[in-house]
Amino acid sequence: MNIIQSIKKDFNTMTLVLIPVAIAINVVIGQIVVLLKLPVYLDSVGTVLVAAICGPWAGALTGTLSNIIWGLIIDPNALPWFPVAMFIGFVAGWAAVAGLFRTWWKVVITGILVALTAAVVSTPISVYLYGGITASGSSFITAFLLQSGRDLVSAVLSTNFIVEPIDKIATSLLAFAIIKGLSVRYLSRFPRPENVLVGK
Amino acid sequence: MAIIEMRNLTYHYPLAETPALHGIDLEVQQGEFLAVVGANGSGKSSLCYALSGFVPHFFKGKLEGQLNIAGIDTHQSGLMDFVRRVGLVFQNPFNQISGSKFSVYEEIAFGLENLAVPPTEMRARIDAMLDLTGIRDLADRSPYALSGGQQQRLALASILVMQPQVLILDEPTSQLDPIGSREVFQVIKDLSRQGMTIVMAEHKIEWVAEFADRMLVLSQGEIIGNGKPSEILSLPQLPEHGVGISRYTTVARLAQKEGLWPSDQALPVTLTEAVAGFQEALG
Amino acid sequence: MSDRLSFYVERSSLLHRLNPLTKLTLAFTLIFLAFFGPGYWLPAGLYLFVLIPLSFLGGVGKDFVRTSLRLLLPLFLFLFVMQSLFYPGGKTVIFSLWIFSVKSEGMAFAFLTASRILVMVSSFLLLFLCTHPSALMNDLARRGAPAALSYIITSTLQILPQMQAKASAIQDAQSSRGLNTGGNLIQRTRSLLPLVGPLVFGSLVDIEERAIAIEARGFMLPEKKTSLIDIPDTRPEAIFRWGMLLLILLTTGYRLWPS
Repeated sequence: MNIIQSIKKDFNTMTLVLIPVAIAINVVIGQIVVLLKLPVYLDSVGTVLVAAICGPWAGALTGTLSNIIWGLIIDPNALPWFPVAMFIGFVAGWAAVAGLFRTWWKVVITGILVALTAAVVSTPISVYLYGGITASGSSFITAFLLQSGRDLVSAVLSTNFIVEPIDKIATSLLAFAIIKGLSVRYLSRFPRPENVLVGK
Repeated sequence: MAIIEMRNLTYHYPLAETPALHGIDLEVQQGEFLAVVGANGSGKSSLCYALSGFVPHFFKGKLEGQLNIAGIDTHQSGLMDFVRRVGLVFQNPFNQISGSKFSVYEEIAFGLENLAVPPTEMRARIDAMLDLTGIRDLADRSPYALSGGQQQRLALASILVMQPQVLILDEPTSQLDPIGSREVFQVIKDLSRQGMTIVMAEHKIEWVAEFADRMLVLSQGEIIGNGKPSEILSLPQLPEHGVGISRYTTVARLAQKEGLWPSDQALPVTLTEAVAGFQEALG
Repeated sequence: MSDRLSFYVERSSLLHRLNPLTKLTLAFTLIFLAFFGPGYWLPAGLYLFVLIPLSFLGGVGKDFVRTSLRLLLPLFLFLFVMQSLFYPGGKTVIFSLWIFSVKSEGMAFAFLTASRILVMVSSFLLLFLCTHPSALMNDLARRGAPAALSYIITSTLQILPQMQAKASAIQDAQSSRGLNTGGNLIQRTRSLLPLVGPLVFGSLVDIEERAIAIEARGFMLPEKKTSLIDIPDTRPEAIFRWGMLLLILLTTGYRLWPS
């Protein structure tokens, strides 16, 4: 099917009503994680959820809107990174279409793919904004974390490039856990339940 | 011709083995008020969804039997045909707020915009609904800044403004406090008096007994009673099916055991009937 | 937080009366000029001599300056530090501190980047200050934007504060039940579930009902939706918008011209 059809497929009534809630889930979980001072972000759980059961285009939209809203009401430093949020939704969506959201270990793979995408997409943005600190990204992460109020231990821990993949894998697993907690009847309301349902 | 005719309707939700509705026969005349009672899980909501087309057109699943409502046949129509003719208001007032409008006034307009009603016609219809549901002074408020009862009246206004031929209500006061319930019941009473065809699933037996023309009792997806409220509510088998009988009926039944209520006198459902009955029985 | 997310400030200024698309076009044009237009000082000039005066014309001057600086000062400070120190190819050292040296090329680049981002964010800020979200969405929908997109954006603006309030309530409830948000990493991770679980599953259940509600109100009807509120548009504004488009094309031409 062509692109327009592909986009349309993602959006039924349930998608429209899910997206605002997913954005709110992103914001709330993201804020609670800061409150609990955990060394991760977990601010895309809603995005991945939408991507898995509605599709890549719905996921991309969720990520973009979510990022912009986060930037406007919580932390403006997040604004320039909206393409990253967009691609997180997009890639998670296609991974789900490819069947990578059906079992725990496949979801881990999705998380890795998403983390890679995030790294790739954030590179040119980093280059532009921070004039060349791209290779490791670690100094940026340190500075960013220090700035957003996390404690020193987490900040140091996170400079290790392990954090990004962990964050994205945890995000994907959390979205998967949520889906697992929903009934088959409920999931079949959404455009792409076949992404997450095993068997029939 | 009845405005609602249901014949032998049986419905299975997707992947379900037991039917949610089984062999339902139902007829409602225009202007009638039919109350539907039954325990939780007896199929009241499924029946409401079937009458408003969400079963099967939203929920999928397997629907057998006949339903003709407001001139359409469920097997040959889609959800959109139902939406134009049948209104649905359900329990949770918060979930019926569209979320996309910032004021009560615009929220009511939502349905009219979807129906592509010309803007010139909208205001008169919205104003009429504001008055009917008594929320005119809330017109500029955010829909989220209302009490439960006010939100439910907004939900009613938002559906009624679309001028449905039949109104289906699924336990509209279950989540409201007594004041909210009273406000909503008042609106429904007025609607019925004005000739609206209403089917209402409800737990508050006393209330529907007073206002309904007929009452349907459901248990496990089947009809176990269909008739006038006073007949139905005196049926002794109701409690086994988990149907809350009115408090007045319970009292009268106890009185009957003690010989204080004549065994040939019909048991009361409403306070009025109970008072009248006791006055007569005790001389 | 009020019961909706919105920067909108109610005034009766000229800017407020303008058609939303006009304001949106202006915002895009200013951003385009800031990023691709000629001159090192252009972005800063646009902010100081176009945006700020416009904001005062719109009666939202103080809000505009205050909010645009609040939003962007942290970013700029960070930018300045990073680029002054790490800008590749920087040679002219201004001063040194320990192992770090501040280079003027870096500072210059930082200033340019910062002023461009300033124009980008503050253009939209001005738009949002002077335009009611439903007016903006209504106008775009009228001109062909998908109703679904309009619905998603406006309901997010209202539902997000509702859910944040619910999350607060859940947090309070869990704290009074003895949930501790301190402790070591494992303990803190364990607190995540009772804080997040009820909110997520509760709101997911609501979704099905809300979908039924908007269907019952005809949201998926095929006819083109009408609008209760009429958003006026004037001929001078239409001409203005074409003028902005022309400006964008000229700037593109300037950029692409090999001279």
